[in-house]
Amino acid sequence: MNMAWKEIKKNKLRYTILGSIVFLISLLTFIISGLANGLSQDNASLIKNLPNGIFYMEEEADETYSFSSLSKQQQQEITEEESEAAFFSIQMGNFIDTSDKQRSIAYVAADSAYFPEVNPGEVILDASLEDEGIAVGDEITNEQWNQSLTVAGFAEHEKYSHSPAAFINPDDFQTLFHTDSMQIAFIADSAIQNADDAPIFEGLQAFSNNEFLNTIPSYNAEQMSLNMIVIFLLVISGMLFAIFFYMINVQKLGIYGILKAIGMKTGALFQMMWAQMFLISAFSLILSILISQVFQSLAPSGMPFHLTWQATGLLSLVFIIIGFIGATLSGIQIKRVEPMQAIQQGEM
Amino acid sequence: MSLFTIKHVRKTFAHGEVKEEILKGIDVTLSEGKITALTGASGSGKSTLLTIAAGLQTASDGQIFFEQQELTSMRKEELRQIRAKQFGFIFQSAHLVPFLTVEEQLALMLETAESSLSKQEQKKEIRQVLELVDMWKRKDAYPPSLSGGEKQRVAVARAIIHSPKVLFADEPTASLDSKRSQEVMKLIQKLSKERQITVLMVTHDMEMLPFVDHVIKMKDGIIINDITA
Repeated sequence: MNMAWKEIKKNKLRYTILGSIVFLISLLTFIISGLANGLSQDNASLIKNLPNGIFYMEEEADETYSFSSLSKQQQQEITEEESEAAFFSIQMGNFIDTSDKQRSIAYVAADSAYFPEVNPGEVILDASLEDEGIAVGDEITNEQWNQSLTVAGFAEHEKYSHSPAAFINPDDFQTLFHTDSMQIAFIADSAIQNADDAPIFEGLQAFSNNEFLNTIPSYNAEQMSLNMIVIFLLVISGMLFAIFFYMINVQKLGIYGILKAIGMKTGALFQMMWAQMFLISAFSLILSILISQVFQSLAPSGMPFHLTWQATGLLSLVFIIIGFIGATLSGIQIKRVEPMQAIQQGEM
Repeated sequence: MSLFTIKHVRKTFAHGEVKEEILKGIDVTLSEGKITALTGASGSGKSTLLTIAAGLQTASDGQIFFEQQELTSMRKEELRQIRAKQFGFIFQSAHLVPFLTVEEQLALMLETAESSLSKQEQKKEIRQVLELVDMWKRKDAYPPSLSGGEKQRVAVARAIIHSPKVLFADEPTASLDSKRSQEVMKLIQKLSKERQITVLMVTHDMEMLPFVDHVIKMKDGIIINDITA
């Protein structure tokens, strides 16, 4: 008999309140998780779009890419070891568009198939700038430059340090920023999970994808803050389940005692509580997932929000596991209750 | 024929340093299909004896046998199975599950007793028992909407739906008026005769004694009178 569902139906208000709280907490968790992921994309989609592999910077650069400079000889050594190695440089800067508006941008120069190929005198911009009115054929320039670059196209989701990426030809990069060396080398290798597994080059420091992301200024602090909020919300939801079921169980100890007296298994009483936890969680989570996805589709395009079905599915699973632990901890009372207590208590 | 035997049962409660002996070596034999009443003043130990016999609390000393099986040496799980399948319980208060209908209370008991009846047979049995206690027309009612007498009749139905061999009743008429008490006792007597259920009942109401076959009077933890009708 489905006692769990029958009790929920008979005590709609009580369980609706719990369901509403779980719904609100899970929705908040999904929104914050979407923001964390969105900000992560906004901060580092240029790097996150690359396949799994190893990044190299100069050891002396102290994990700061802008201080790194790979000499021609070092680039040669890497290429001899890994012929598919890619080299690129990033320079934070700005440009003036056709309407004389100044915009922040991350210039990227690369000789690799991982990034768009750009002809000299041209630039390929992140697609967010197209939404802001820049069009193919526009000329962009900078107060310190003697030349301008023509917009040749747009690339989707290419941002770095919260600025749109601007891919330029390595020769233009050399002319505009007065450097002929590349800052970073990248070797794609799906098997490598850790920088310690990477080939060693003298004077160079290796980073896995995640380690490299953490070298981006503000990335780690930003993500850690948002992830801590998500973790706290998950813990709070677990505590909520524990407290709620504790309160409900205290009220039902008499019934539990009588059911034990007539021979019901303690396990059956736990199953009833778990089924209620699962039903409430599942209903609240499905509603949260749907609303968070609607929110994603309606959110302004400039808002850094990115929530995948996979992420919500994973978070939902964590919610259910934590809810299960919380409810089980509160259910210890069920195990302890003696039939005699309930009989002596009188009518419930 | 004896179905249930209580031999030299003692029960001592400790209140800090002070020990209080509630049962001082009780011997009782219950005959199959008969109703036995435990009577006596408050504190005589009759309810303690009933709950020990039913396996709801342990004895400090002595033995209890049900169908040649010693209950006092059984593990908790074995005892639970006996309670679920072979025993029925009626308490002073009906103690019904508030979120189940009258019909569902009985279905839950059959499920707890791991009844071998098919779903169809279970429905039939529930109807039969509810008609027996005159509660079939209220099968869809929830406990809060039932009167005290109706609740107790449902409690009786729940106690016998799985055809237990022994029915333990702890002052089953205590919360009822005189008319309702008579009705419930007639019902217990009828069920005991029709279904050959052995009943051990605690009561302090002398008006209930004409319905029983065997009266055991207790005082201060000992049996002072044992009368078989």
